[in-house]
Amino acid sequence: MKETVIDAHNLSKIYDEKTIPVYALNKVHLHISRGEFTAIKGPSGSGKTTLLNMIGGLDEPSEGFVEINGTNITELKGNELIDFRLNNIGFVFQSYNLIPVLTAKENIEFIMLLQKRPKEETDQRVLELLKQIGLEDKIDKRPQELSGGQQQRVAVARALAPKPQFILADEPTANLDSVSAENLLDIMLKLNQEENMTFIFSTHDQRVINRARRVITMEDGKIVEDTAETVIIHKPK
Amino acid sequence: MLIKIAGRNLWRNKKRSVIIISAVSIGLWAGTFLTAFYNGMIEQRINTAIGKEVSHLQLHHPKFRSDYDIQYYLPDSQKMLQTIESDSLVKIAAGRVMLKGMIASAAGSSGITINGVQAEKENSLTKLQSKIIKGSYFDAEKSNEIIISEKIRKKLKLEINKKAILTFQDKEGNLAAEAFRIIAIYKTINAPYDESNVFVKNTAVDSLAGIPNGFNEIAVLLKSNATLDESLAQLQQKFPNTEIKSWKEITPELGLTVSVADQMTLIFMGIILAALAFGIVNTMMMAVLERTREIGMLLALGMNKFKIFIMILLETFFLILAGCPIGIILALLTVAITNKTGLDLSSYTETYSSFGYDSVIYPSLTWNQLQTVLLLVILTAFISALFPAKRALQLNPAESLKK
Ligand SMILES: Nc1ncnc2c1ncn2[C@@H]1O[C@H](COP(=O)(O)OP(=O)(O)O)[C@@H](O)[C@H]1O
Ligand SMILES: [Mg+2]
Repeated sequence: MKETVIDAHNLSKIYDEKTIPVYALNKVHLHISRGEFTAIKGPSGSGKTTLLNMIGGLDEPSEGFVEINGTNITELKGNELIDFRLNNIGFVFQSYNLIPVLTAKENIEFIMLLQKRPKEETDQRVLELLKQIGLEDKIDKRPQELSGGQQQRVAVARALAPKPQFILADEPTANLDSVSAENLLDIMLKLNQEENMTFIFSTHDQRVINRARRVITMEDGKIVEDTAETVIIHKPK
Repeated sequence: MLIKIAGRNLWRNKKRSVIIISAVSIGLWAGTFLTAFYNGMIEQRINTAIGKEVSHLQLHHPKFRSDYDIQYYLPDSQKMLQTIESDSLVKIAAGRVMLKGMIASAAGSSGITINGVQAEKENSLTKLQSKIIKGSYFDAEKSNEIIISEKIRKKLKLEINKKAILTFQDKEGNLAAEAFRIIAIYKTINAPYDESNVFVKNTAVDSLAGIPNGFNEIAVLLKSNATLDESLAQLQQKFPNTEIKSWKEITPELGLTVSVADQMTLIFMGIILAALAFGIVNTMMMAVLERTREIGMLLALGMNKFKIFIMILLETFFLILAGCPIGIILALLTVAITNKTGLDLSSYTETYSSFGYDSVIYPSLTWNQLQTVLLLVILTAFISALFPAKRALQLNPAESLKK
């Protein structure tokens, strides 16, 4: 059996509990193993972001819990949770990912610096990643001097630099043209293979979905299809 | 790294940085200048009081100041005056015959204080001659000359060379009356004083009052205010039965002026600091709200709340620290310049002079005061910086990222 990285149990997120409750997430179970390259698809409002936020410890579920490598992150509070994210989870967001006042290199090393990793290790890793994303010549460029696609590549490199347990990417290609989107996917896949890095990303771009090895489909806060399993639909009682 | 980010963040929103730097420097400048201005005003008032009104020290019969009766004169006053004049710390001393009385003309009468003065010495002591706006000073040869103020001249419809009648009580309590010829009109910046003081030569009233060649007041101008307490003690030893008061005790309203000025300084300082705090809290709060997404991203990536707090605090601190030298230099320059040139407030002089102020003020500042203002400004600025930084901590990463 493959090593489990993420185990989400019975996750629900309910907004406006007092007035008209909205189930952004409705009793979702999810299991992710190391090395997966998983896409979460579904229409807008189906709960993709909410699910990723729960897994990434950015938001608290109304019900259920998330275990990462055996740690129940739903029980972590405040700075404990922030530190857990720092040391275990990589994030790539849809846009405005980078710290605008830092250069490409500084953005990539940012998390490793927060983790207080040795300087040599950090420098080496940053150079290696800059090469892998093909931006060695942009090392000292600020985000505003980079194209959208280049910015997202830097964001991926930053998430990857400290070798987290997994990387969550919420619609990483949503603001990119199709060439840049393909390019970013190539890089993510390459890193997934070379470093055995687990990627979970949401998207509604069919070409991106086609590249994923596992595709999870969401609708109305529920997982309605999962290519890794035969039957996933949780029938509400 | 926090320092790097905070430092670079300074240039992201130049307008905001300029606002905070200006707020700090203007606050500092305003606070410093305000303090210097009040210093100048008080110094001005004290110098005027000493140089033109009360002198450094005054000697009286112990009961004189409460009763203001001529029977409480200074015995042996000529000898006393000579002794005082020979003191090496004393610049000038002059005797006076001070009488409460009335001045009357065909148009009416008015209660006044008659200053019987030693013409020449009095001029050195209180610059009486310089206060004259019309006419000429006492003539040594002539007697029964009087100098009245412009206010009394108007009130009693008097003119130079016209006569006015002075009435007062002598030592025995009998009423004495005498006609005096007006030789000059004076005007000082102290309106209430002008309304109630006339000047004659001491020799014109001393015999009438029943104390020929005597004085009931001796005013002393020292060479320096620094020896005030020392001189007072020495004189008190020489003349144990005489009441000797320094200008501080003679004009308690001066002390009041000082404390009122202190309070005013405090109030204005409070307003300046409140404006500063308001400016910083608002501008930095805007900066934090503008960067909600970014702060959310930093939180998501794993930058803990303490670091985020410090990062925003640092950013504000840099701006404050940039504002301080600008403010201090501006303030010192302004104070240095106005201290030389003086600040002419003659357009406000009407209201000012009624309080006894001169119209030109020379702001001045001590290092101690500068330090205090600096400390207050920095403290206020730093405390205000805490609120926006604290606001950033309340952000929730998931919500912030949706913005
Ligand atoms: N802060 C919120 N308050 C209320 N409803 C929310 C909030 N955030 C998300 N939702 C709702 O939750 C549902 C799922 O949203 P989301 O996870 O963002 O969907 P997706 O990422 O698939 O577009 C939507 O119906 C959305 O309106
Ligand atoms: Mg979404």
